[in-house]
Amino acid sequence: MSVLEIDSLRTFIKQRSGVVRAVDGVSFTIEPGETVGLVGESGCGKTMTGLSVMGLLPNGGYIADGAIRFGATDLAALGERGMRRIRGNEIGIVFQDPMTSLNPTMTIGDQIAEVVRKHRRASAQAAMARAEEVLALVGMPRPAERLSQYPHQLSGGLRQRVMIGIALACEPKLLIADEPTTALDVTIQDQILVLLDSLKERLGMAVLLITHDLGVIAGRADRVLVMYAGKIVEKAATGELFRRTRHPYTAALLASIPKLGEPTSRQLYSIPGLPPDLSHPPEGCRFAERCSFATEDCRVEPVLGGPDPSHPYACFHPIGHGSTLTQPEAIDGHQQAANQGSGSDLLVLDHVVKEFPVTSGGLLQRSVGTVKAVSDVTLTIPRGGTLGLVGESGCGKTTIGRMIVALERPTSGRVIFEGQDLSALTGTELRRVRKDLQIMFQDPYASLDPRMRVSSILREPLQIQGAGGRAEQREHVASLLGEVGLNPRAMELYPHEFSGGQRQRLGLARALALSPKVIVADEPVSALDVSIRSQILNLMRRLQATHGLTYIVISHDLSVIRYLADRIGVMYLGKLVEVGSSSDVYDRPAHPYTLGLLSTIPVPDPDVERAKQAAAVAGELPSAMHPPSGCRFRTRCPMAREQCAAEEPALRSFGADHLAACHFPLQTPVSPLLGAGVPR
Amino acid sequence: MISYIIRRVGQAIIVLVGVTIIVFILQHLLPGSIARAIIGPRASALQIAAFNRQYGLDRSLPIQYLSFLNQLIHGNLGYSFKQNMSVDAIVAHDLPNDLLLVGASLVLALVIAIPVGIIQAVKRNGMVDYVATGISFVLYSMPSYLLGLLLIAFFAVDLRYLPAEAPQQPTITGVLSDPAGLVLPIATLTLITCALFSRYMRSSAIDSLAQDYIRTARAKGLGQVAILFRHLLRNSLIPVVTLVGISLPGILTFGLIVEQLFNFPGIGLAYFNAAVDGDYPVVFGVTVLVALVTVLGNLFADVAYAILDPRVRYD
Repeated sequence: MSVLEIDSLRTFIKQRSGVVRAVDGVSFTIEPGETVGLVGESGCGKTMTGLSVMGLLPNGGYIADGAIRFGATDLAALGERGMRRIRGNEIGIVFQDPMTSLNPTMTIGDQIAEVVRKHRRASAQAAMARAEEVLALVGMPRPAERLSQYPHQLSGGLRQRVMIGIALACEPKLLIADEPTTALDVTIQDQILVLLDSLKERLGMAVLLITHDLGVIAGRADRVLVMYAGKIVEKAATGELFRRTRHPYTAALLASIPKLGEPTSRQLYSIPGLPPDLSHPPEGCRFAERCSFATEDCRVEPVLGGPDPSHPYACFHPIGHGSTLTQPEAIDGHQQAANQGSGSDLLVLDHVVKEFPVTSGGLLQRSVGTVKAVSDVTLTIPRGGTLGLVGESGCGKTTIGRMIVALERPTSGRVIFEGQDLSALTGTELRRVRKDLQIMFQDPYASLDPRMRVSSILREPLQIQGAGGRAEQREHVASLLGEVGLNPRAMELYPHEFSGGQRQRLGLARALALSPKVIVADEPVSALDVSIRSQILNLMRRLQATHGLTYIVISHDLSVIRYLADRIGVMYLGKLVEVGSSSDVYDRPAHPYTLGLLSTIPVPDPDVERAKQAAAVAGELPSAMHPPSGCRFRTRCPMAREQCAAEEPALRSFGADHLAACHFPLQTPVSPLLGAGVPR
Repeated sequence: MISYIIRRVGQAIIVLVGVTIIVFILQHLLPGSIARAIIGPRASALQIAAFNRQYGLDRSLPIQYLSFLNQLIHGNLGYSFKQNMSVDAIVAHDLPNDLLLVGASLVLALVIAIPVGIIQAVKRNGMVDYVATGISFVLYSMPSYLLGLLLIAFFAVDLRYLPAEAPQQPTITGVLSDPAGLVLPIATLTLITCALFSRYMRSSAIDSLAQDYIRTARAKGLGQVAILFRHLLRNSLIPVVTLVGISLPGILTFGLIVEQLFNFPGIGLAYFNAAVDGDYPVVFGVTVLVALVTVLGNLFADVAYAILDPRVRYD
C-alpha cells in the first residue's frame, strides 16, 4: 500500500488580487521507502503541494478539492485536531532556511525534546535522552554538549541537521524535504543530502524531495514529478526521465543548465518569457506560451498520459517524435576572441590582504581579534577576460570583488587598475576611476531602491559623473534598457513591477550605464530560477563581446563559473589555493579542495550522481578569526599530513598559468617553487 | 551573563555621572547666583559672601562639583530653604506613593497589554482586532488630563462610585488606607500606558507569527496554546521589553500630570510645586532622582532583554 496517495488535489490561496490556483489537479503516490522528487521553478506549486499534505497552508490557503490519503486517513478532510497527531509524528518536514526555522530563544535540546514529549508522552528526561540520540543520528558532533546550545551558536549546516532531527525524532513514515539544501553551501549541501539518504535507509521511511535543482533530483530521487504552473506535466523513474525526456518544459529546463562537460562556445538554451500568473491561468496547455513546439492544438488542455503508463506526460507534441529542442546558436568568433582576453593586464592584485577588526562591548570598544577575510592574494586579470572566483561562503571572494571596485581598501597590498594603485588615489581621482569599475549584486530585490523609478535608478550614475544633459541621459537610459532586453517603457516603472530576472537585467543596465571597463558580478544568477538564469548568462556574454568588458564573476556555482570564465581562482578561507584556465581547474585540478568542490556539484545526470559515494568535503569551514596553521584546508583535507600543519604551502606551477598551493598536490608540479614574480 | 550585567551597570554609572554634571552646570547658570536665588534678591553683598563661604560656593567649580557628587553619593540631594527641610526628607516622604502609582500602573498595563496584543495578532483584521485597535488609538491620542477628567466626570461625578480625589494622607500607609481613592489615578495612568504597550505587543506578535520557527512549531504538531506560550510569547516580548525601559520617563511625566489632576501626594506634585515656587534645590534633587530611575529602568530592560534573548547574552 502506498504511504501517500494524492488524488486530484486542488489548493487555492485567497488573496486580495484574486484566488491563486497554486495546485491545480495534482495526483501522485509515494511508496514505502521511496524518494519521490518534485521539481519545478518557484511559484509552480511544489511547496504548496508539500504544505497541503502537512495542513500548514499560509493564510488564505485552503484545499478546494481532492484527497490526500495517508494510510487509511484522508488528510484533506481530517481537520486541525487530527492533523496535530500526524504532524511531526507520522509525517516530518524539513524547510529551506535553517537560519530562520529554529526558535532563537529555545535550546536545541528543548526544541527536539518538545516534539518527542508531544507525541510519545515521554517524561522530560526521557525526551531529552531521545533528543541526544537524535542529534547523534543526524551526525551532530558532540551531541550531549549541543543540547544546551542555542541555534545562533551553530552554523547553517548544523542547524539544518537539527531541523532534520526535529522532523525525524518520532520516526515518521514520510519525510517532506522542501528545498532542504538550497540555503546551504555546496559542500554542506552534499553532506546533508548524503545524510538524508542514509537516514531514509536506516529508518525505512519515504521521502518527498521538493527542489528546483535537477542535479539534486538526479542523484537522490527514485521517481521524479515535474511541475509547471500548478500541474504535473511529466512523471517517470529518474533514469527514464533524464534519458528519454518527453515534455518540452522538462527538456528546456535541462537544456538551460550550463553543464560541466559541454563546450562553452554555445549560448545556453533559454526559455522565453515568464511562468503564468496562477490567479488567471491560461486556457489549454499552460506552457504553450513559452514552448517552441506549441501549435493550435495546445489551446486544449493536454492530459497526463502517453503510450507508456510508467512515463506519462501532458503534451501534444512530445520530444522524441522527430521534434527536438533547437540548439541555440554558437557564439561567433568575434565574441569568442573577446572572451579570451587580449593579453595586457587591466587589473593586478598584488599581495592583497584584508582584515576586519572584531570588537566587543558597546561604549568602550575593545578589539577581540581580526577576521582574516583575504590573506595575501596575488592575481592578474587581462583586459577583456573573465576571472571566476569560487569557494564556499566566507572564503573572501566577495571581499576581493569589493576591493576591486574600491568599495573596500586592502589592509595591505595593492589593487592596481590600469597601472594606478587604487588605494593611493585621492577622492576626486578615485571618483573618476569609479566609472570604469562597476558592480552587479546578487539580490535583485534588495539592490534596487524601491522608491525610485527605473529612469532615476539608471540616470543616477550618469548624473553623478556629469555625463551629458537631461535629454541625452534619457536617450542613453532608453538604449541601455534595449541592450539588456527590456522595453524602454520600463523607465516609468518602479522595481517591484518587475520579475526577479528583469530586475537582474536592470542591475546589469545600471552597471553598464557609465560604459565601465570592469564589472564585478557577485553571484549574478544565484537568486534566479533556472530558466531565467540562462537568459542572464547569455546576456552577460553578449554584452561582454559588444562592450569589451572585463568580468570578475563571483559564484559558489561551479557550472556558472565554468560557463562564463576563462580563468578561475579557487579560494579557501581567504587564500587563493588554485588558479588556472577553466580546463586546468576542471579537468586537471591540482588542489584537493578544488577536486572536492567539483565533486560536490550536483550534476543533472543520474548516472554521474549515483556513482558518487560519501560526501566529498567533510566538516565545516573553520573560523576566519583563527585560521588553521600551515595549510588552511588541512582540517578538512583527506590527504593532510604533519607537514601541512607546520608549513604553509606556496603556490607552485602545474603548467602555463596554472598554480596551486598544496604540499601533496593531485598533479605533478612543473617547477619546484615559484619565484617572487606576479603569477599570470 | 554576569559580565554582561557588570558591563551594563558600568555604562549606567557613566550616564548618571553625566546627568550630575549637567545638573551641576544648570545650578550655576541660574540668573544671578545660587546665593541670590536662595536668600533673596535683597541680600547684601556681604550676606552673599557669607552664604557662599558657608556653603563652599567660593571654591573652584571642579572642587564644588566633587563635593556635590560626594553629597549625592551619601544620599544628600540638597536642602530646600523655601520649605526648610532637606530634599531627602521630601523625597523619602513622597517617593513610596509614586512607586505605588507608577509601579501599579506599569504592572497592570503589561498584564492587560500582553494578552490583548497577542489576541489581536492571532485574530488580526477580525472584529476583536478592530475594536481593540480603535480603543487603543482613542486612549493613546487623548491627553492624559482629559482622560483623567472624563473618568472623574463619569465615575465620580455622575455615578458617584469613586472619589474624585486621590487619598490625601501624605504617608504611604495613609494612602493605602484609602484604596478607593487610588482607583482613578491608577486607572488613568494604566489606560494610557496600556494603549501604547498593546500596539507594540500586537505588531511584535504579528512579526513573530510570520516567522519560520512558528511554522516549524506547527509542523511538530503542537497545539495553539503551546505555540503561543512556548514559541511566540518570549520572542515577541523582546522588543516590548526595550519599549518599557525607554518609556519609563514618559510614564513618570504622565504621572506628574495625573498627580496634579488628582492632587496625589507624590514627587510629581512636589516637583511641580517646586518649579512654580522657584524652589531650585528640590527641582535639581528630583531631576537627579528621575535620572536615576530612568537609568535603572533601562538597566532593568537590558537585563530582561538578555534573559529573553540568548543571542544578547553571549555577545
